[in-house]
Amino acid sequence: MSLSYLKKAVEENDREKLIRYVRLHFGDGIENVGEQEIDKAWIEALKLLLDVPPTDREFIETTIAQKDASTLAHLFFRLHFYFVARSGEWVHDGKI
Amino acid sequence: MERSNSKEQLRPGLWHTVNDRYPGSMITKDDLVPLARLKRPLAESRLTFVSTAGVQPRQTLPFDTVHPVGDYTFRPVPSNSKPADLEIHQLKYPTAGAERDVNVIFPIERLQELASERIIVGLTKNFFSFIGYNMDAERLEKTLAEDIAEAVEAEKPDVALLAPA
Repeated sequence: MSLSYLKKAVEENDREKLIRYVRLHFGDGIENVGEQEIDKAWIEALKLLLDVPPTDREFIETTIAQKDASTLAHLFFRLHFYFVARSGEWVHDGKI
Repeated sequence: MERSNSKEQLRPGLWHTVNDRYPGSMITKDDLVPLARLKRPLAESRLTFVSTAGVQPRQTLPFDTVHPVGDYTFRPVPSNSKPADLEIHQLKYPTAGAERDVNVIFPIERLQELASERIIVGLTKNFFSFIGYNMDAERLEKTLAEDIAEAVEAEKPDVALLAPA
């Protein structure tokens, strides 16, 4: 999808087009794979917290408070691939 | 085996498939940039190489393969690099073969051989690499392409080899 296509979708609040793009991005062009990949990342993150290990909440809150939203959005995409890679099931042809 | 010199599209319908999967992704341009003709024989020409393979020197900031709109930066790659000096950051094509031999996607040793065998007079100090997954065609054209063109011109090549990944 071109950027103009996506920006038009934002203007029109066309959520279907936008989430479809995210799924295509995460699924290397295959929408249902992208959907599974999103689930996979969240499951991997959830598994890490089930035993309630100590986590650096100060880092989390400081990062969110101090970094701009665009950087956090970028981090959000980066974390998706981090947890997908951590799951051990890498469906992509290439690597990050 | 498919004939590489065929005038027919090797995978007919490919673009229709792309448009189904990525609506609005088709980019068309009406203006034509003619190919530049060689100003001197190849044996007297210095060659540069521009690639979308996502190949970069180790220890440089990895290409941003996770950004949903793409990465509009490029990396100079010293033309005297050895394959072991290089790594690939590219999500959108199978890199397994290139991991075994980077020359299949970024033929740096073949180009070094052309220079050492005097088939060309030499190589520019650097080659240039970026990733092809970029959704903002205007930014690609007005920033990345211009930035690379400026960097290429600064190295004064006589001929440029362009290779998509």
